[in-house]
Amino acid sequence: MIYPEILLIDDEPIVGQRLKGGLEKLGCRVEVYQDPLKALDRIKEKNFDIIITDVMMPEVSGIQVLEASKAARPDTRVIIITGFATAALARECMEKGAFDMIAKPFRPSDLRSLVANAAHDMGFTSLKGEPGDQRNAEVEH
Amino acid sequence: MWFATVETSRTGPEEELLGRPIFNFRLQIILGFFTFFILSVLITAAAMFAINRIEKKISSIQAWEQFLFNIEQARRWEKNYFLYGTNLQDALQSTEKARTILSENAADLQVISMPWQKEETIRNMELYHAGLKKLERLVEHEDNPPGVQGEIEVDLRRYGSKMVSDAAALAAKEHELVSRWLDLVQRVPLYCLVFLFFLMLYMARFLSIRFMQPLKDFVQQTRRIAKGDFTPLKPVRKYRDEFTTVEVAINRMLKELERRQMSLIESHKLRAVGILTAGVAHELNNPLNNIMLTAHSLLEEYDHLPPEEHTQMIQDIIQETDRSRAIVHNLLDFTRENKSIMHSLDLGRLLEETTKLAFNQARVRGVPIELHIEPQLPRIVGDRQQLKQVFLNLVLNALDAVEKGGRIAVKARNADHGWVSVHIEDNGCGIPPDVMPHIFDPFFTTKSVGKGTGLGLSVSHGIIRNHGGRIEVASRPGKGSVFTVTLPRGAVDDPSPNSNHNRWMGENRP
Repeated sequence: MIYPEILLIDDEPIVGQRLKGGLEKLGCRVEVYQDPLKALDRIKEKNFDIIITDVMMPEVSGIQVLEASKAARPDTRVIIITGFATAALARECMEKGAFDMIAKPFRPSDLRSLVANAAHDMGFTSLKGEPGDQRNAEVEH
Repeated sequence: MWFATVETSRTGPEEELLGRPIFNFRLQIILGFFTFFILSVLITAAAMFAINRIEKKISSIQAWEQFLFNIEQARRWEKNYFLYGTNLQDALQSTEKARTILSENAADLQVISMPWQKEETIRNMELYHAGLKKLERLVEHEDNPPGVQGEIEVDLRRYGSKMVSDAAALAAKEHELVSRWLDLVQRVPLYCLVFLFFLMLYMARFLSIRFMQPLKDFVQQTRRIAKGDFTPLKPVRKYRDEFTTVEVAINRMLKELERRQMSLIESHKLRAVGILTAGVAHELNNPLNNIMLTAHSLLEEYDHLPPEEHTQMIQDIIQETDRSRAIVHNLLDFTRENKSIMHSLDLGRLLEETTKLAFNQARVRGVPIELHIEPQLPRIVGDRQQLKQVFLNLVLNALDAVEKGGRIAVKARNADHGWVSVHIEDNGCGIPPDVMPHIFDPFFTTKSVGKGTGLGLSVSHGIIRNHGGRIEVASRPGKGSVFTVTLPRGAVDDPSPNSNHNRWMGENRP
């Protein structure tokens, strides 16, 4: 069985801690990074199916991660987590090929649905979650 | 009385201004003209008096001259008599006339300016007259005892010449006096005119100075006020005058301006908070997200997790709630409306708190803020909120100036001569030279409509000046700008009175 490979980057350690278990239960392999620089190195080493990244991090922004991921593997699905969603940010992410966006604070199930959607989009069928029931990221204008 | 003293027990700028005795321009002008009038009256009176004296002198001189003329006439007739035996009656007649003149004008003649032996003159007159009478009797009786006529002749000659010389001397003296008086009458008005001329010059100068000086002072004051110094006017002159009304009005205006300045500072602060929203949302949403994720995990997997994990997760929730509270308090503390209170402050900590406020905003923009605080930085005295507002404003301006990947540094160091300086440096777009002179002007902005009010630097400038400091700027277009805030070192080094308050506000973090 093929599992979606997921890379999760957020400088807040709790995010990784709490999401990792849930995503693994969904049937994914998850790597969690707090330091985006290390994550960028890892992206170059390994092909990930889904990359989940926070936008605002010290030194490297989520947009840079998005660009690097798309450069490394154009069909990677990138999910952007943001603390403050603006229309401009949403536009920029979509233009650069992000799969979707989710605004903090979110429920673990919200992200799981997004991941399931992304996996489904990539052709994975083995996931336990139900795709399609996620809310879209709330975009504040 | 020219001055009316107003008793007052009230204090304050308005009362100080109004509490002075009145000595206004109306009074001064009236006083000036009154002086002129009095002087003119004095000059006129003096002239009239002098002319009157001269008139009297002249009539007295006339009397003396007539007297002299008659006596001389009498002496001539007397001489004729002794030479040719004629004219004795004529001599007597002239003597009678002289006597009449003397007795008639005795009162006038009395008024002369040199000691005059009136009795002696009258005695000489009587003796002379008696001599002539005796001579007449001798002639009538044809009785001519030898020697008698000669005796009489000697007497007559003695008294006559005495009278003539006395009268002549008096007349000459009076002449001299009259000419002296005339001279005086001519000269005194000239002196008075010269005096009046100088008095007029002095008054004109005095009044114009009294008019111009307050006006010049007002110009100075308005310059000071335009720079944002709203200290009320203090009485400069000892007396109250027409300008006092203006001063009182200006003070009222200053009070109003100060009130507006305060509300301007307040509204500008709220604007700064508005700018901070994005950063604050980011900052606040992180702990909220952590709480949300943790709580959900707890809910979903409660039964599958060991009890230690439960405790850990609950502790996470508490810790993240504390974090949110600190963020909200930090912001609220900054926005809280309060009166300007000056107390001893740790500038380093104040700058830390300020950069913390702007930190997330800077992260959104991808610009790091470096904070360099010199160790053992002296404390300063100031209003914590207002100073935070100034530094925040300068940092936010710097953030606007830099591109992504720019750099902002906040440096606090001990400057010379009792000053502490804070430099806010950026490597952004810089300030064009043509804009530079206006950056501290109210409502001057280079930002587009709706983006900037143009009040930030003007308000900051006002706040720093109220703290006895100054803001300076150095900029190279394209290279960056350095704003330097210089503040006086605090004299008092007391323990911060609001340290408790700070702890409560959750700001005592390292």
